[in-house]
Amino acid sequence: MRPRRTLRLVSLIAVLAGLLGAPPAPGPAAEPALRVLATLPDLWSITRALVGDLGRVEVATRPGQNPHDLEIRPSQILLVKRAEILVRNGLEEDAWIDPIVESSGNPRLLRGSASVIEASQGLDLLKIPSGRVDRSLGDVHPSGNPHFTLDPGTMPTVTASIADGLARLRPDLAPKLEANRREFLARVESRFQRWRERLAPYRGARVVSYHDSWPYFYRAYGLIELGVVEDRPGVPPTPQHLTSLVRRMKEQGARLVVLESWYPPESAAAVARLAGAKLVVIPQSPGAVPGTADYIAHMEHVVTALAKALADP
Amino acid sequence: MRMHTAGFWPLPLLLLSLGTSLPGPAHAQDVDAVRQELTAVRRQLDSIREQYETRLRELTDRLEQLEAQRRTATPAPTPAATVPVTAASSAPAGGEPSLREMLAPRQPFALAQPGRTLLFDIGVSGDFVTDFTSRNRERRRDGTFAGRENRFFPREVELGLFGRVDPYASAVVRLSAGEEAAGLEPSDRSLGVEVDEANLTLLSLPLGTTARLGVMRPRFGTLNIVHQDDLPQIDRPNVLSRFFGEEQLEGEKGIEAFWVLPLPVYNELSIGVFDGDNEVAFGRGTLRDPLVIGRWRTFLELEEHGGLQIDLSAASGIATDAHRTTILGLGAKYKWAAPGSGFPLFTIAGEALYAMRTVTTEGDDTTPSRDRRFDRWGAYLYGQLDLTRRWAFGVRGDWTELAAERGREWAVSPYLQFKPSEFLRFRAQYKHTEGTGAVERVANEFFLQGTFILGAHPTERF
Repeated sequence: MRPRRTLRLVSLIAVLAGLLGAPPAPGPAAEPALRVLATLPDLWSITRALVGDLGRVEVATRPGQNPHDLEIRPSQILLVKRAEILVRNGLEEDAWIDPIVESSGNPRLLRGSASVIEASQGLDLLKIPSGRVDRSLGDVHPSGNPHFTLDPGTMPTVTASIADGLARLRPDLAPKLEANRREFLARVESRFQRWRERLAPYRGARVVSYHDSWPYFYRAYGLIELGVVEDRPGVPPTPQHLTSLVRRMKEQGARLVVLESWYPPESAAAVARLAGAKLVVIPQSPGAVPGTADYIAHMEHVVTALAKALADP
Repeated sequence: MRMHTAGFWPLPLLLLSLGTSLPGPAHAQDVDAVRQELTAVRRQLDSIREQYETRLRELTDRLEQLEAQRRTATPAPTPAATVPVTAASSAPAGGEPSLREMLAPRQPFALAQPGRTLLFDIGVSGDFVTDFTSRNRERRRDGTFAGRENRFFPREVELGLFGRVDPYASAVVRLSAGEEAAGLEPSDRSLGVEVDEANLTLLSLPLGTTARLGVMRPRFGTLNIVHQDDLPQIDRPNVLSRFFGEEQLEGEKGIEAFWVLPLPVYNELSIGVFDGDNEVAFGRGTLRDPLVIGRWRTFLELEEHGGLQIDLSAASGIATDAHRTTILGLGAKYKWAAPGSGFPLFTIAGEALYAMRTVTTEGDDTTPSRDRRFDRWGAYLYGQLDLTRRWAFGVRGDWTELAAERGREWAVSPYLQFKPSEFLRFRAQYKHTEGTGAVERVANEFFLQGTFILGAHPTERF
């Protein structure tokens, strides 16, 4: 009887521990040196390249998840609770992290704290709205377009912001972080040259985006954005706008409609069909497609998909 | 000297020639006229000079004032301010806006202007409802929106101000106005304004504690913390209305602390102490007999299989008749979203409440008044399918006993939702209710709702 009773007791404790989520056995060796949380998958992949084996980098959103209309999940609060450093976009694309941080009981990651790194610092930002800014423009980003990581040319500045922020909190890791950064930048630069060569034949090609996600990418490769299907972010396009866009595409010979994989394809497909252009669906964030969790692999995937679509007659 | 003489030479000659060329009496009149004109011109010049000097003085004062404001607006060196990356991001170009600039009516609900940033967020939401039902329900005033049957009415128009107070705290103030059903006459209807929330959240307390104090919606159950315009259906579930009244547990004054436990799975504990101002369950309204509310919430992240939230709550306080009321709640919510676009999105959620109340029944000549114990329960369950970002439909079922009377009711409510954008939503809902005992009736109601959000709005929560 006694062994059975003991077994029951152990089973009960195990069940309760499982329900409450008992912490793993603590040990200094298992504790990573840096515990970093990135708000978005692109920042996660870049930060991971810098941190390397110096710590653990987690991400608050799932790859392939639209960060524009994210709802807060309690599991994100837990991620914030565990982190000691937060890497955020800085241009309101991830403003949803603020209420998460405020609910987490981790004041180190509150906005304005030294433990918060804003990756957009020092960048030459595009599409900063001028004049009156209100919701008639849709869910617009008042500080500028936040999709800057799609231009590999921004990587020296972005990685400098992140590496400086990490080194500020852990000066002992600064040399290693800088070495990782240089190694990452060298790889990016080498591939960027190849990507530019690959897209060089299409410089000046006119393309249309579904969402206004690609201005930095177009700038990097000399593509011309003829228009945006979703002309007001977050608001489905009107038939009048689509008609006007199709007319311009026909007049100016736009060849491609680029659709981010998390948006509904109907209106983008209709525009492409009516204008005689091609629709290409591209995941905007690393990790949305297997094997693209790394920043370079993701950009390779994007450039390849676009080059292939532009090459087809 | 010679040069000077040579320089003035032509002047006397010119004057002489002018003098000899003018006729006598007419000349005198013209001189007078010219003199008068010269005087008038001089006056005008003096006036213009005065105006310019006045404007120059005003501009100088303004410049000095702006420089002084910029000096005072420069933040004291704090740890955050010494950090170049984050400090640079939070400091608006050109210095902080003055109070006068912030209050200028030029662009009241704009998000921002280049180079200018409000120091807090402003959001306005409007929630308008129509309740179509039978004449019987209207006469008896026992519809879901009692006293507002067969009316289009503003249920809640809310002004929300929220933001960070300083590095250690944030605050929110929400003022709302809505039509209240007062008396039987149409003229009795009034638009009541009240403070829904006005609370301070302390963010940097030890042991991972976060505390709120002020006027708030306490953390009880699943839907109590949800604002009217954010409810999953147009009306609140019957069990919540029966156990807490139409106003729910909102506007409670007190302090609440909560912790996210440092465990691998999300577990949150909260406890609050309040005056107890609820109109139905806890109306004592004094900290000598406080309303105490506690909640445990857990969340299981199932990744591609969705997420499941479970909460357990308890609220205990003293009612207006000096008897203790205790209400227990169990809630669960499951959501699954398709990978990628997040649509279709499927939600199923429900909540069950168990109330223990003691009520003093009035006696008469034959029977003395006595205390009677009521142990009652009720629940709701709904399922919703968001087909796309715009379209969703769902159905809710209600079953509840009355909190302190004999009787029970059930209801079923299918509904349809259309969201042209994130900031605008329309809903239509049909509700069939059948009650027995004190709520003996069959009611058929049709609701329409329009909701808008202006300016800043909080992020949606699971």
